[in-house]
Amino acid sequence: MPSGQDQGPGGLPLDYQLSEHDILEAMKGLSGYLDITPGDFKEVFALAYGQALTRLGLSVKAQDLMTTPVVSVGAGDSLAQVAHAMAQAGVSGVPVLDEEGRVLGVISEKDFLKRMDPLGSQSFMGVVARCLSQGACLLAPLLEERAAQAMSAPAVSLGPQATLAEIRALFASRGINRAPVVDDQGRLLGMVSRADLLGTRAGRRA
Amino acid sequence: MSFWAKLKGTTQSPPRVSLEEMAWSWLGSLLGIGAVAGLNHLYFAGTPWTLIVGSFGASASLIYGAIKSPLAQPRNFVGGQVLSALVGVSAQMALPGHPWLAAPLAVAFAVVAMHATKTLHPPGGATALIAVVGGPQVHDLGYLYALLPVGAGALLMLAIALVVNNLPAKRRYPEFWL
Repeated sequence: MPSGQDQGPGGLPLDYQLSEHDILEAMKGLSGYLDITPGDFKEVFALAYGQALTRLGLSVKAQDLMTTPVVSVGAGDSLAQVAHAMAQAGVSGVPVLDEEGRVLGVISEKDFLKRMDPLGSQSFMGVVARCLSQGACLLAPLLEERAAQAMSAPAVSLGPQATLAEIRALFASRGINRAPVVDDQGRLLGMVSRADLLGTRAGRRA
Repeated sequence: MSFWAKLKGTTQSPPRVSLEEMAWSWLGSLLGIGAVAGLNHLYFAGTPWTLIVGSFGASASLIYGAIKSPLAQPRNFVGGQVLSALVGVSAQMALPGHPWLAAPLAVAFAVVAMHATKTLHPPGGATALIAVVGGPQVHDLGYLYALLPVGAGALLMLAIALVVNNLPAKRRYPEFWL
Protein backbone atom coordinates (compact mmCIF):
# COMPACT_ATOMS: atom_id res chain seq x y z
CA MET A 1 0.00 0.00 0.00
CA PRO A 2 1.59 3.24 -1.10
CA SER A 3 1.41 5.89 1.59
CA GLY A 4 3.00 9.30 1.45
CA GLN A 5 4.02 11.53 4.30
CA ASP A 6 0.85 13.53 4.57
CA GLN A 7 -1.68 11.10 3.26
CA GLY A 8 -2.70 7.64 4.25
CA PRO A 9 -4.81 5.07 2.46
CA GLY A 10 -7.64 6.57 0.44
CA GLY A 11 -5.92 9.94 0.33
CA LEU A 12 -7.08 10.61 3.87
CA PRO A 13 -5.18 13.37 5.64
CA LEU A 14 -3.26 11.92 8.57
CA ASP A 15 -5.19 14.12 11.01
CA TYR A 16 -8.34 12.19 10.25
CA GLN A 17 -6.85 8.74 10.49
CA LEU A 18 -7.90 6.39 13.22
CA SER A 19 -5.18 4.53 15.05
CA GLU A 20 -5.46 0.77 15.38
CA HIS A 21 -5.78 1.38 19.09
CA ASP A 22 -8.88 3.54 18.52
CA ILE A 23 -10.41 0.76 16.46
CA LEU A 24 -9.47 -1.95 18.92
CA GLU A 25 -11.09 0.03 21.76
CA ALA A 26 -14.24 0.53 19.67
CA MET A 27 -14.36 -3.19 18.87
CA LYS A 28 -14.15 -3.96 22.57
CA GLY A 29 -17.10 -1.65 23.12
CA LEU A 30 -19.25 -3.69 20.77
CA SER A 31 -20.34 -7.03 22.04
CA GLY A 32 -19.81 -10.06 19.87
CA TYR A 33 -17.05 -11.19 17.57
CA LEU A 34 -16.32 -8.99 14.56
CA ASP A 35 -14.36 -10.92 11.99
CA ILE A 36 -12.39 -7.96 10.73
CA THR A 37 -8.91 -6.97 11.81
CA PRO A 38 -8.25 -3.43 13.07
CA GLY A 39 -5.97 -2.95 10.07
CA ASP A 40 -8.68 -3.86 7.58
CA PHE A 41 -11.19 -1.64 9.34
CA LYS A 42 -8.74 1.25 9.15
CA GLU A 43 -8.41 0.74 5.41
CA VAL A 44 -12.18 0.56 4.90
CA PHE A 45 -12.65 3.69 6.99
CA ALA A 46 -10.05 5.66 5.04
CA LEU A 47 -11.57 4.68 1.70
CA ALA A 48 -15.12 5.39 2.90
CA TYR A 49 -14.05 8.78 4.24
CA GLY A 50 -12.44 9.66 0.92
CA GLN A 51 -15.60 8.52 -0.87
CA ALA A 52 -17.75 10.70 1.41
CA LEU A 53 -15.57 13.73 0.70
CA THR A 54 -15.89 13.13 -3.02
CA ARG A 55 -19.66 12.65 -2.73
CA LEU A 56 -20.08 15.89 -0.77
CA GLY A 57 -17.72 17.68 -3.16
CA LEU A 58 -19.93 16.64 -6.07
CA SER A 59 -23.37 16.85 -4.51
CA VAL A 60 -23.17 20.20 -2.70
CA LYS A 61 -23.79 22.99 -5.20
CA ALA A 62 -23.13 26.72 -5.27
CA GLN A 63 -26.86 27.34 -4.82
CA ASP A 64 -26.79 25.35 -1.54
CA LEU A 65 -23.83 27.27 -0.19
CA MET A 66 -24.45 30.81 -1.35
CA THR A 67 -25.44 33.68 0.88
CA THR A 68 -28.60 35.39 -0.22
CA PRO A 69 -29.81 38.09 -0.38
CA VAL A 70 -26.57 39.85 -1.23
CA VAL A 71 -25.49 43.42 -0.64
CA SER A 72 -24.48 44.83 -4.01
CA VAL A 73 -23.52 48.19 -5.45
CA GLY A 74 -24.19 49.89 -8.78
CA ALA A 75 -21.51 50.56 -11.37
CA GLY A 76 -21.99 54.30 -10.98
CA ASP A 77 -21.86 54.39 -7.17
CA SER A 78 -19.05 56.42 -5.66
CA LEU A 79 -16.37 54.61 -3.69
CA ALA A 80 -17.65 56.40 -0.60
CA GLN A 81 -21.04 54.77 -1.14
CA VAL A 82 -19.40 51.44 -1.78
CA ALA A 83 -17.31 51.70 1.39
CA HIS A 84 -20.40 52.65 3.35
CA ALA A 85 -22.38 49.71 1.99
CA MET A 86 -19.56 47.28 2.76
CA ALA A 87 -19.06 48.64 6.27
CA GLN A 88 -22.78 48.50 7.01
CA ALA A 89 -23.12 44.91 5.80
CA GLY A 90 -19.87 43.86 7.46
CA VAL A 91 -18.54 42.25 4.30
CA SER A 92 -15.13 42.53 2.69
CA GLY A 93 -16.34 42.39 -0.89
CA VAL A 94 -19.48 43.19 -2.90
CA PRO A 95 -20.58 42.51 -6.47
CA VAL A 96 -20.96 45.48 -8.80
CA LEU A 97 -24.11 45.37 -10.95
CA ASP A 98 -25.29 47.15 -14.06
CA GLU A 99 -28.82 48.49 -14.32
CA GLU A 100 -30.28 45.11 -15.31
CA GLY A 101 -28.79 43.40 -12.28
CA ARG A 102 -26.00 41.70 -14.22
CA VAL A 103 -22.69 41.25 -12.45
CA LEU A 104 -19.92 43.40 -13.94
CA GLY A 105 -17.25 42.75 -11.34
CA VAL A 106 -16.46 42.45 -7.68
CA ILE A 107 -15.03 45.16 -5.48
CA SER A 108 -13.23 44.16 -2.32
CA GLU A 109 -11.06 45.62 0.40
CA LYS A 110 -8.11 44.62 -1.75
CA ASP A 111 -9.26 46.92 -4.55
CA PHE A 112 -9.40 49.81 -2.07
CA LEU A 113 -5.96 48.99 -0.70
CA LYS A 114 -4.55 48.84 -4.21
CA ARG A 115 -5.63 52.42 -4.74
CA MET A 116 -4.52 53.70 -1.34
CA ASP A 117 -1.00 52.36 -1.65
CA PRO A 118 0.71 53.34 -4.92
CA LEU A 119 3.30 50.63 -4.34
CA GLY A 120 0.48 48.18 -4.62
CA SER A 121 1.20 46.04 -1.58
CA GLN A 122 -2.56 45.37 -1.37
CA SER A 123 -2.29 44.85 2.35
CA PHE A 124 -3.63 46.97 5.15
CA MET A 125 -0.26 47.01 6.89
CA GLY A 126 1.44 48.10 3.66
CA VAL A 127 -0.83 51.13 3.57
CA VAL A 128 -0.26 51.87 7.26
CA ALA A 129 3.52 51.57 6.85
CA ARG A 130 3.64 54.06 3.98
CA CYS A 131 1.28 56.38 5.75
CA LEU A 132 3.38 56.46 8.93
CA SER A 133 6.82 56.59 7.33
CA GLN A 134 6.22 58.86 4.38
CA GLY A 135 2.98 60.62 5.10
CA ALA A 136 1.70 59.30 1.81
CA CYS A 137 -1.78 58.15 2.52
CA LEU A 138 -3.94 59.90 0.05
CA LEU A 139 -7.56 58.97 0.09
CA ALA A 140 -8.35 61.98 -2.07
CA PRO A 141 -8.13 60.22 -5.46
CA LEU A 142 -10.73 57.75 -4.25
CA LEU A 143 -13.29 60.51 -3.88
CA GLU A 144 -13.58 60.90 -7.62
CA GLU A 145 -13.74 57.23 -8.46
CA ARG A 146 -16.76 55.10 -9.21
CA ALA A 147 -17.28 51.45 -8.40
CA ALA A 148 -16.85 50.48 -12.06
CA GLN A 149 -13.33 51.93 -12.09
CA ALA A 150 -12.11 50.29 -8.90
CA MET A 151 -13.69 46.86 -9.27
CA SER A 152 -11.93 43.71 -10.38
CA ALA A 153 -13.50 42.78 -13.69
CA PRO A 154 -14.62 40.70 -15.37
CA ALA A 155 -16.01 38.96 -12.33
CA VAL A 156 -14.98 35.37 -11.69
CA SER A 157 -18.50 34.04 -11.30
CA LEU A 158 -20.14 30.70 -10.65
CA GLY A 159 -23.24 29.02 -11.99
CA PRO A 160 -25.78 27.82 -9.41
CA GLN A 161 -24.91 24.20 -10.28
CA ALA A 162 -21.14 24.57 -9.67
CA THR A 163 -20.04 21.86 -7.24
CA LEU A 164 -18.19 22.34 -3.99
CA ALA A 165 -15.12 20.74 -5.59
CA GLU A 166 -15.27 23.16 -8.55
CA ILE A 167 -15.71 26.16 -6.24
CA ARG A 168 -12.71 25.14 -4.12
CA ALA A 169 -10.60 24.68 -7.24
CA LEU A 170 -11.67 28.07 -8.61
CA PHE A 171 -10.91 29.91 -5.36
CA ALA A 172 -7.51 28.29 -5.17
CA SER A 173 -6.52 28.80 -8.80
CA ARG A 174 -7.68 32.44 -8.98
CA GLY A 175 -6.56 33.35 -5.47
CA ILE A 176 -9.97 34.78 -4.61
CA ASN A 177 -12.06 34.63 -1.45
CA ARG A 178 -15.55 35.08 -2.85
CA ALA A 179 -17.40 34.78 -6.10
CA PRO A 180 -20.85 35.87 -7.25
CA VAL A 181 -23.31 33.17 -8.28
CA VAL A 182 -25.11 34.23 -11.45
CA ASP A 183 -27.88 32.84 -13.65
CA ASP A 184 -27.30 32.21 -17.36
CA GLN A 185 -28.07 35.87 -18.11
CA GLY A 186 -25.32 36.96 -15.73
CA ARG A 187 -27.80 38.25 -13.13
CA LEU A 188 -26.80 38.01 -9.49
CA LEU A 189 -28.29 35.14 -7.46
CA GLY A 190 -26.00 35.10 -4.42
CA MET A 191 -22.43 35.10 -3.20
CA VAL A 192 -20.20 32.23 -2.12
CA SER A 193 -17.30 33.10 0.13
CA ARG A 194 -14.57 30.96 1.70
CA ALA A 195 -16.47 31.10 4.97
CA ASP A 196 -19.40 29.36 3.25
CA LEU A 197 -17.09 26.48 2.35
CA LEU A 198 -16.05 25.78 5.90
CA GLY A 199 -18.65 23.07 6.16
CA THR A 200 -21.10 24.34 8.73
CA ARG A 201 -23.88 24.95 6.25
CA ALA A 202 -23.02 22.05 3.99
CA GLY A 203 -22.71 19.85 7.07
CA ARG A 204 -26.16 20.77 8.28
CA ARG A 205 -27.64 19.96 4.92
CA ALA A 206 -25.87 16.65 4.45
CA MET B 1 4.89 -4.32 -0.06
CA SER B 2 7.55 -6.98 -0.41
CA PHE B 3 6.77 -10.66 -0.02
CA TRP B 4 8.80 -10.85 3.21
CA ALA B 5 7.18 -7.74 4.66
CA LYS B 6 3.77 -9.27 3.94
CA LEU B 7 4.75 -12.41 5.84
CA LYS B 8 5.38 -10.38 8.99
CA GLY B 9 1.73 -9.29 9.12
CA THR B 10 0.49 -5.72 9.30
CA THR B 11 -1.98 -5.52 12.12
CA GLN B 12 -3.07 -7.16 15.34
CA SER B 13 -5.55 -9.75 16.49
CA PRO B 14 -9.10 -8.56 17.26
CA PRO B 15 -9.97 -8.36 20.98
CA ARG B 16 -11.22 -11.30 23.06
CA VAL B 17 -14.99 -11.44 23.41
CA SER B 18 -16.77 -11.08 26.76
CA LEU B 19 -17.64 -14.00 29.00
CA GLU B 20 -21.29 -13.39 28.22
CA GLU B 21 -20.56 -13.77 24.51
CA MET B 22 -18.69 -17.01 25.20
CA ALA B 23 -21.62 -18.31 27.22
CA TRP B 24 -24.16 -17.63 24.46
CA SER B 25 -21.81 -19.13 21.84
CA TRP B 26 -21.57 -22.23 24.02
CA LEU B 27 -25.33 -22.50 24.46
CA GLY B 28 -26.04 -22.02 20.74
CA SER B 29 -23.51 -24.65 19.74
CA LEU B 30 -24.81 -27.07 22.35
CA LEU B 31 -28.44 -26.71 21.26
CA GLY B 32 -27.71 -26.56 17.53
CA ILE B 33 -25.51 -29.63 17.36
CA GLY B 34 -27.74 -31.23 20.03
CA ALA B 35 -30.74 -30.85 17.73
CA VAL B 36 -29.14 -32.52 14.70
CA ALA B 37 -27.37 -35.18 16.75
CA GLY B 38 -30.49 -35.94 18.80
CA LEU B 39 -32.89 -36.15 15.86
CA ASN B 40 -30.31 -38.20 13.93
CA HIS B 41 -30.13 -40.62 16.83
CA LEU B 42 -33.91 -40.82 17.15
CA TYR B 43 -34.86 -41.22 13.51
CA PHE B 44 -31.85 -42.25 11.43
CA ALA B 45 -29.85 -44.65 13.62
CA GLY B 46 -29.59 -47.94 11.74
CA THR B 47 -30.85 -46.46 8.45
CA PRO B 48 -28.81 -45.51 5.37
CA TRP B 49 -29.62 -41.86 6.08
CA THR B 50 -28.14 -39.36 8.49
CA LEU B 51 -28.87 -35.85 9.67
CA ILE B 52 -25.38 -35.00 10.75
CA VAL B 53 -22.19 -34.20 8.90
CA GLY B 54 -18.79 -33.21 10.33
CA SER B 55 -18.75 -29.72 8.81
CA PHE B 56 -21.74 -28.76 11.00
CA GLY B 57 -19.24 -28.43 13.86
CA ALA B 58 -17.41 -25.79 11.85
CA SER B 59 -20.67 -24.05 10.92
CA ALA B 60 -21.58 -23.91 14.62
CA SER B 61 -18.47 -21.80 15.34
CA LEU B 62 -19.75 -19.24 12.90
CA ILE B 63 -23.52 -19.19 13.33
CA TYR B 64 -23.39 -19.32 17.14
CA GLY B 65 -19.92 -17.85 17.78
CA ALA B 66 -19.37 -15.15 15.14
CA ILE B 67 -22.94 -14.14 14.43
CA LYS B 68 -22.11 -10.73 12.93
CA SER B 69 -19.81 -12.28 10.36
CA PRO B 70 -20.96 -12.16 6.74
CA LEU B 71 -19.75 -15.78 6.57
CA ALA B 72 -22.31 -16.74 9.23
CA GLN B 73 -25.44 -15.25 7.68
CA PRO B 74 -28.33 -17.46 6.50
CA ARG B 75 -27.54 -16.91 2.82
CA ASN B 76 -23.95 -18.00 3.36
CA PHE B 77 -24.68 -20.79 5.81
CA VAL B 78 -27.49 -22.60 4.00
CA GLY B 79 -26.44 -21.52 0.51
CA GLY B 80 -22.75 -22.35 1.00
CA GLN B 81 -23.48 -25.71 2.61
CA VAL B 82 -25.98 -26.95 -0.02
CA LEU B 83 -24.00 -25.62 -2.99
CA SER B 84 -20.75 -27.17 -1.74
CA ALA B 85 -22.52 -30.46 -1.16
CA LEU B 86 -23.72 -30.48 -4.79
CA VAL B 87 -20.20 -29.65 -6.02
CA GLY B 88 -18.67 -32.36 -3.80
CA VAL B 89 -21.10 -35.05 -4.95
CA SER B 90 -20.51 -34.06 -8.59
CA ALA B 91 -16.72 -34.40 -8.14
CA GLN B 92 -17.17 -37.77 -6.48
CA MET B 93 -19.47 -39.01 -9.27
CA ALA B 94 -17.19 -37.70 -12.01
CA LEU B 95 -14.09 -39.37 -10.59
CA PRO B 96 -15.21 -42.43 -8.63
CA GLY B 97 -12.25 -44.31 -7.18
CA HIS B 98 -9.88 -41.35 -7.59
CA PRO B 99 -10.27 -39.45 -4.32
CA TRP B 100 -6.74 -38.01 -4.63
CA LEU B 101 -8.03 -35.93 -7.56
CA ALA B 102 -11.75 -35.67 -6.75
CA ALA B 103 -11.06 -34.27 -3.26
CA PRO B 104 -8.99 -31.20 -4.25
CA LEU B 105 -11.26 -30.48 -7.22
CA ALA B 106 -14.35 -30.72 -5.01
CA VAL B 107 -13.00 -28.20 -2.50
CA ALA B 108 -11.53 -25.83 -5.08
CA PHE B 109 -14.72 -25.68 -7.12
CA ALA B 110 -16.84 -25.39 -3.98
CA VAL B 111 -14.88 -22.31 -2.86
CA VAL B 112 -15.23 -20.70 -6.29
CA ALA B 113 -18.94 -21.56 -6.51
CA MET B 114 -19.53 -20.00 -3.09
CA HIS B 115 -17.58 -16.89 -4.04
CA ALA B 116 -19.45 -16.54 -7.31
CA THR B 117 -22.83 -16.77 -5.56
CA LYS B 118 -21.82 -14.61 -2.57
CA THR B 119 -22.41 -17.56 -0.27
CA LEU B 120 -18.87 -18.12 1.04
CA HIS B 121 -19.13 -20.22 4.19
CA PRO B 122 -15.84 -21.91 5.17
CA PRO B 123 -17.43 -25.14 6.45
CA GLY B 124 -18.83 -25.59 2.94
CA GLY B 125 -15.32 -26.61 1.86
CA ALA B 126 -15.44 -29.39 4.43
CA THR B 127 -18.90 -30.43 3.22
CA ALA B 128 -17.56 -30.78 -0.34
CA LEU B 129 -14.53 -32.72 0.91
CA ILE B 130 -16.68 -35.08 2.97
CA ALA B 131 -18.75 -35.87 -0.14
CA VAL B 132 -15.55 -37.42 -1.54
CA VAL B 133 -13.74 -38.82 1.50
CA GLY B 134 -16.83 -39.67 3.61
CA GLY B 135 -16.85 -43.33 2.63
CA PRO B 136 -19.51 -45.60 1.10
CA GLN B 137 -22.34 -44.39 3.34
CA VAL B 138 -21.96 -40.87 1.95
CA HIS B 139 -21.33 -42.03 -1.64
CA ASP B 140 -24.50 -44.12 -1.59
CA LEU B 141 -26.61 -41.05 -0.86
CA GLY B 142 -25.73 -39.48 -4.21
CA TYR B 143 -27.21 -36.01 -4.64
CA LEU B 144 -29.54 -36.68 -1.71
CA TYR B 145 -26.48 -35.74 0.39
CA ALA B 146 -27.17 -32.07 -0.47
CA LEU B 147 -30.68 -32.30 1.01
CA LEU B 148 -30.17 -34.86 3.76
CA PRO B 149 -28.07 -34.45 5.85
CA VAL B 150 -26.73 -31.12 4.53
CA GLY B 151 -29.83 -29.04 3.63
CA ALA B 152 -32.13 -30.37 6.35
CA GLY B 153 -29.43 -30.19 9.04
CA ALA B 154 -28.50 -26.66 8.05
CA LEU B 155 -32.11 -25.48 8.24
CA LEU B 156 -32.51 -27.04 11.67
CA MET B 157 -29.32 -25.38 12.93
CA LEU B 158 -30.45 -22.09 11.40
CA ALA B 159 -33.77 -22.28 13.29
CA ILE B 160 -31.87 -22.74 16.56
CA ALA B 161 -29.58 -19.80 15.67
CA LEU B 162 -32.57 -17.53 14.99
CA VAL B 163 -33.93 -18.25 18.46
CA VAL B 164 -30.80 -18.47 20.62
CA ASN B 165 -28.92 -15.57 19.01
CA ASN B 166 -31.85 -13.21 19.55
CA LEU B 167 -32.51 -14.03 23.22
CA PRO B 168 -29.85 -11.74 24.76
CA ALA B 169 -30.43 -7.99 24.48
CA LYS B 170 -26.95 -7.37 23.07
CA ARG B 171 -27.08 -9.95 20.30
CA ARG B 172 -29.05 -10.03 17.08
CA TYR B 173 -29.16 -12.38 14.12
CA PRO B 174 -29.18 -12.32 11.15
CA GLU B 175 -27.47 -9.23 9.83
CA PHE B 176 -29.19 -9.94 6.50
CA TRP B 177 -31.15 -12.78 4.89
CA LEU B 178 -30.38 -12.60 1.18
